[in-house]
Amino acid sequence: MIRRRRYLAAVTCTAAAAVVAAACSAPGSDKSSSAGGSGPIKIAVVDAQSGQLSSLGAWELKGARLAVGEWNKAGGINGRQIQLDVFDDQGDPTVGTTLARKIDSEGYVAMIGTAESAVTIAMAPTLRQAEIPNITSGQSPGLVAVNSPFLFLNGPTSTTYDETLAKYIVDKKGIKNIALITNNGSFGKGEHDAFSKALASRSVTPVADQVVTSDQKDFSAALTTIRQKRPQLIFLGAEEVESGLIVKQARDLGITAPFAGAAPQGTPVFLDTAGAANVEGTIVSSPYLGNDASDAARKFAAAYKAAYGQDAELHGAKAYDGTQILLTALKTSNAATGKALADAIRSTKYTGLLGNFAYDDTGVGVFATAIGTITGGKLVAESA
Amino acid sequence: MQVFLQTIIGGVSLGAIYALVALGFSLVYRTMGLVNFAHGNVVMVGAYLASTFYLSVRLPFGLAMLIAIVVTGLVGVVIERVLRPLEHKDFDLMLIGTIGFGVVLEAVAVLIWGATGRAVRSPVPARPLDIFGVRVRTYDLLVLAVAALATVGLVLFLQRTKRGAAMQAVAMDHEAATALGIHVGRSNAMAFVIGAGLAALAGGLVGPLLYVSPSMGGTLGIKGFAGAVLGGFGSIPGAIVGGIAIGVLDSFAAGHFQGYSELVTFVVFTVIIMVRPTGVFGERTVNRA
Repeated sequence: MIRRRRYLAAVTCTAAAAVVAAACSAPGSDKSSSAGGSGPIKIAVVDAQSGQLSSLGAWELKGARLAVGEWNKAGGINGRQIQLDVFDDQGDPTVGTTLARKIDSEGYVAMIGTAESAVTIAMAPTLRQAEIPNITSGQSPGLVAVNSPFLFLNGPTSTTYDETLAKYIVDKKGIKNIALITNNGSFGKGEHDAFSKALASRSVTPVADQVVTSDQKDFSAALTTIRQKRPQLIFLGAEEVESGLIVKQARDLGITAPFAGAAPQGTPVFLDTAGAANVEGTIVSSPYLGNDASDAARKFAAAYKAAYGQDAELHGAKAYDGTQILLTALKTSNAATGKALADAIRSTKYTGLLGNFAYDDTGVGVFATAIGTITGGKLVAESA
Repeated sequence: MQVFLQTIIGGVSLGAIYALVALGFSLVYRTMGLVNFAHGNVVMVGAYLASTFYLSVRLPFGLAMLIAIVVTGLVGVVIERVLRPLEHKDFDLMLIGTIGFGVVLEAVAVLIWGATGRAVRSPVPARPLDIFGVRVRTYDLLVLAVAALATVGLVLFLQRTKRGAAMQAVAMDHEAATALGIHVGRSNAMAFVIGAGLAALAGGLVGPLLYVSPSMGGTLGIKGFAGAVLGGFGSIPGAIVGGIAIGVLDSFAAGHFQGYSELVTFVVFTVIIMVRPTGVFGERTVNRA
């Protein structure tokens, strides 16, 4: 029938038009406001602001805001103020990828975050395609494996943390009887692999290697198995809260061996969750050993305390350094975007709270950490 | 052998918490035919309230818990009141309403207490007991004792008091109950309040065991719900058995399958439910459209 044919034709034409329209629009091409012109320079902070990892997001935001506040007070970049907008990725890689497309379409020139390696890795392809440089707090070696010219780390990788830790534990202290307990998330897996490799290169085999899930609440089985092997030291490869719970339950089970770990072990959340008495003697590998470690650290900690009423710690310091590098690169490149900004970041040499940053092709800028021990509830540096 | 026993102990202590959460689920389902998807987040609210009164206001632990239970019960009253117009009209919307309330509770918790969360020190400072090489935390014994008391109290309430009997009558046939002069709305409100109170009890108890954060309701809610279904949804003894079973199953799965423990726990759960869909103590007490 003619009516039916006309109806079919109309539908087909509309469908074809829609397909053509979709194909014609370039992916996320709304680069209106901040591309090298006027108006505020828009930077996105993407982190878990809710969920179990939200403390990392809160710290990172504070560090970034502190840096941006300093620059804005000094006049911004070429007279343009820096605008920091916060996005909550809920610690979920899927939400992260949605946010990556969002910050692309809304004209952000760079991204600070996330503190969660799995989310950062998920967002990397979209940001690479959109040519948005990203300075992340993640430390998983998986980030380096992504091989994106737009991804930079604001701290060392797990490999560095654990190599330094293994060197201290095995070479300096002579401890060979070591148990591992790590989770199977992105960070935990990275820590497990990096530390195992560092031990293997010293011909040390761990006496126990227990893997737990990221959501696990009861570690009786894993810890009792470890207890039976009587290790001299237990390596922790889990985030702040989970490792705190592991330590608390381990002490309840009668395990007296000291613990060792990297970044999460240097945080107040770990200390509070486990209980200060339980973490006494924990060996921590961290590039930021405390707010008294240097003049720069004291100055940073004072500013942080004045702005937020809380004590500064590693993650805030990392975000502060990363944001300072980004802002320095924006200045030297005259508020460039895309590849030019990424190149400017790579060529920025910066002396920060974590050490001397000099980025290489892999996006890593710092290659050393220090060793500290938790003594009397505080992180105390070990003399090298 | 020691690993086996220790795993059971660990599983039972968390299992007692899951059992309390499951009790709340089962009670509301039994009397109202409603699955309260906000239950996990009510546990979280209870945990926050108890820890706030215990840590910041520095009340004794028991008193802090009592206040938390009362305040959370009020939250339960509010939820039931808001959802009451939907009660006998659109059941599915009521279900979705509870999901919505869950989201609201989590957002409000973040607004009030921040996203980071807090650790709660144990109110029982004694060292763990050592029984033939197996370590038992004294706090875990407290949790088990409180959970047992709560269950006994609930069963007595439902079977021996007039209000409890009225609640069961409403569950069986709400029109006949109305004909007998039972105020259905008030009875449902009471069920909700008791459910919320149980949730607050679970939340307050779990604080020193784990870490209080706005997202803690998720896992606890799911495992508690699984426990309730496993034991027979709507059955009070079933909720206890199911909750503890999930806790012990979780613990053993973690011991044997390490990183895959969650997968194993829920596969076993699925198999059991497929074999016996009404759960261990399955009873069909609720007859809802």
